[in-house]
Amino acid sequence: MRILLLGVNHRTADVQLREKLAMAGGPLNAALARLRETYADAEFVLVSTCNRTELYTARPSHAAPSIEDLRNVLADLSGVEVGAVTAATIHREQEQAVAHLFRVCSGLDSMVLGETQILGQVKRAYEVASAANAIGPVLHRVFQSALSAARKVRADTGIDAGRVSVGSVAVDFARQVFDDFADKTIVGVGAGEMAKTTLKHLKALNPHRLWLVNRTAQRAAELAATIGVGHPGGGPRAWDELDELMVDADVMVTSTGATEPIITAERFKPLARRRRNRPLFIIDIAVPRDVDPTVGGLSNIYLYNVDDLESVVEATRDQRRDLVAQCDGLLTGHVAACMSQLQNQDIGRLVRELRRRLLDIGEAERERTRRKLTAQLNGDAERAEKILDEHTHRLINKILHLPLSQLDHGNPDAPLGFYAAALRRLFDLSDTPPKS
Amino acid sequence: MNHPIISILLSVLAALSIAAEVLALRRLRRAEPTAGEDRAQRGIVVAVAVGAGTVFAYRYVSSGQWQPLTAHLDGLLLISALLAITIAFIQTRPRLFGLSAFGLPLLTLMLAWGVCSAAWTYRPFNLDTLHPVWMGFHLTCVYLGTLCAAVAAIAGGMFLYVQRRLKQKRDLPGLGKLASLERLELLIIQTASLGFTILTLALITGLILLIDQPGGLPAGWWLDPKIVLATAAWLVYAVVMNVRYATTFRGQRAAWLSIAGFVLLLLAYGIVTSMPGPVVVAYGGPG
Repeated sequence: MRILLLGVNHRTADVQLREKLAMAGGPLNAALARLRETYADAEFVLVSTCNRTELYTARPSHAAPSIEDLRNVLADLSGVEVGAVTAATIHREQEQAVAHLFRVCSGLDSMVLGETQILGQVKRAYEVASAANAIGPVLHRVFQSALSAARKVRADTGIDAGRVSVGSVAVDFARQVFDDFADKTIVGVGAGEMAKTTLKHLKALNPHRLWLVNRTAQRAAELAATIGVGHPGGGPRAWDELDELMVDADVMVTSTGATEPIITAERFKPLARRRRNRPLFIIDIAVPRDVDPTVGGLSNIYLYNVDDLESVVEATRDQRRDLVAQCDGLLTGHVAACMSQLQNQDIGRLVRELRRRLLDIGEAERERTRRKLTAQLNGDAERAEKILDEHTHRLINKILHLPLSQLDHGNPDAPLGFYAAALRRLFDLSDTPPKS
Repeated sequence: MNHPIISILLSVLAALSIAAEVLALRRLRRAEPTAGEDRAQRGIVVAVAVGAGTVFAYRYVSSGQWQPLTAHLDGLLLISALLAITIAFIQTRPRLFGLSAFGLPLLTLMLAWGVCSAAWTYRPFNLDTLHPVWMGFHLTCVYLGTLCAAVAAIAGGMFLYVQRRLKQKRDLPGLGKLASLERLELLIIQTASLGFTILTLALITGLILLIDQPGGLPAGWWLDPKIVLATAAWLVYAVVMNVRYATTFRGQRAAWLSIAGFVLLLLAYGIVTSMPGPVVVAYGGPG
């Protein structure tokens, strides 16, 4: 069987084309059914996410579908011109296709290096193909090996450890100061885009209250609606209530467009006593900064600005980049093991087929010889010997006909050396030429 | 009773504890912990707990007395075993695992102190002159209270470490391996509260033992360094257990206080009882 991969991903196609090629639910099942119907001997898995649509195929060596066939099917299913599909798709065969899948599952081919979501997406694609009966022993083996290897590589290298967005890093730090958010108050000051993302991450911690303050009340209300907070769990508050909120707050996210710091040590110190020395975690995402750096020097105040968070994100990315070579090294072994298993699977089938075919030939020859002996042999030993010699030669010639016909001296592309070595090895033949 | 083999065994246990500490420090410095080293660290700590417990049990069985504590060596063995069990438990909690790097030096200290106690300053308690029931209760409270104080000090040390890293914004991605400040402060408060209660009982029973001595309370007993230091430690824990109300001492100050309280206890037990010369409150005879 030959393994093929045809697909587009975030590197080869823009989001518009990826959207058109993406398939899920009914269309995905319909696509698999059509492929199965058209190419009954082949196996298919279609991995479709927001960043990639990849069709994995296993088919008999000299049978359809070819890469061109698959391109045509993809174009037909998505309504995109074949030319556009051809320009944007990558294709891999055999070991390279398997290696690609292993890298995809391990998050090495993802937009966010090492992200874990892809593992679940590939698993679901495999399950869908399995349920649609579009998968056979080859792709079963390949996908199971890929999923298992990806889990192992992730665990061994930690490629998926650490955060890669400012919002998620902010949450990590908040969790380093506080353990439980059920009794905590989060205050968002300003309504910048990054603050919105960060507050969404923080809201996932289920805080007791999440208040939003902005100089423009309307924008605070809009942000509250976007994030999905409202009474009694929080909501918009007036700008002049900021001091009161600073007393209540456990976590603050600031991102106003102010040109001067709005929270200074002088402003904060009188509030510290009312806060009863509770710790306060401040994330200042604004540029220029909203919180004077001296505030971070106060007792029980933990102040982080956007550069601090970005540096962690960058460190995580660097760390992950350093791990890519390590992951690739580990995956090479897993891919080789998978290919070896596939080859063993294939040889097993080959041996069974060869045995069946030889038995058929032997049976036919035995029947022929038996008929001749019955009709012609009447105690004549020389005649019997001749018939049996003929029988043996015919049997050997028929058995050797197929393998010897592969040793086609007229075909310059035939791997004769490989065939010869294989025959010598299989039949234990000497490669030393005779003396005379 | 006090075979040289005990000193050797305790030395081996102290060396194991140092090895576990090395692994714990490596873990703190690593970006990602390795499962093999974590298992090794856990195994060593469990071995130390079993070792210290076995030596303690051996001494108890061979003493032929009903009281398990017949010398400070027994107390140190008991604390070591309990501390090792506590650290082994801590190591089963992913976000508390880092605490072991702060607990293992204390464990090493206890074991090293045990080596000194067994090899050079061995002094059995004068159990004949003290009321055995009160004495047993008092010593149990003293050692359990010390254990609580040790855990509070460990949590305090880790609190200061985490806070320092948060303030200095140093190796921030690695912080996820350590407990949050809130959890550490809670641990300090809980262990300090428990330690305070047990030490209160220890102080009361200690006073009863003093009164029970022939001649009653000696003159100037309240100036005895051990009494002064133990009372100071007791007061420290009274403050620490109430930091949520006495908010001036919250956070970093509570962490320092928990360490200071433990140091005071160590001074009270260690220096005073090991120092040559007469002391008002000493269980041991002059040898």
